[in-house]
Amino acid sequence: MIGLENQAVDGRTRLKVLVFSLLREKLNADELNLEYEKPLTGHELLDDLSKQYPAMAPYRPIIRIAVNQRYSAEHAILKDGDEVALITPVSGG
Amino acid sequence: MKEYKTDREWVLLQEGPIELEPIVQFVQVPEAGAIDLFVGTTRRWTDGRETVDLYYEAFEEMAVKEIAGLFAETSRKWPVARQVVVHRLGRVAVGEASVVIAVSSAHRNEAFQACRFLIDELKKRVPIWKKERYADDETEWVEGTLPPIPES
Repeated sequence: MIGLENQAVDGRTRLKVLVFSLLREKLNADELNLEYEKPLTGHELLDDLSKQYPAMAPYRPIIRIAVNQRYSAEHAILKDGDEVALITPVSGG
Repeated sequence: MKEYKTDREWVLLQEGPIELEPIVQFVQVPEAGAIDLFVGTTRRWTDGRETVDLYYEAFEEMAVKEIAGLFAETSRKWPVARQVVVHRLGRVAVGEASVVIAVSSAHRNEAFQACRFLIDELKKRVPIWKKERYADDETEWVEGTLPPIPES
């Protein structure tokens, strides 16, 4: 598994998107399984999700992404098999 | 994974009340001359509104990793002997501890600073969320802090 280029042979990008708290309630789901024809950036994913799920659109500006459990910049390119968590402002403590 | 534990570091996300004694025991070692203990409790009144209880939710695996990452940062900044973060999940009644942080070090100044750093950073970037339920039975996700974007 070390250093494997995670690109599927068919070139498609399958993503598991995790949602929590407010977004989980708004989307009525805690996980979305999505498939795109090409690799895309986190920014493009968030834009697309906001279109697919209008309930998410108002929160688009306050979502950080974590790719495979690490915060990532939106310009990061998502690869086939990535797990993308949508993190709204956190309020632990 | 809700827990990460080594001989020097311990992260635990748990449902149900937090016991202080095992936490203090974990950090109480002969090389430490100070233990700093922070207990965050759920407050009844916020801006004149009465809270009945809170509900905590986490991206558990990532939260444990982020807290372990904070331990690495405190260890770089200060000579920490041992450190613990225990955070509640699920329903927490008003007045109960929602988070407990303990840090031990040779001298008190480092323990105070590391403990303060851990709670401040936890609130800024660990993926945990809380929802308040008020006396009028309304519920509301608490407006939180947008975690920083990593560099590069």
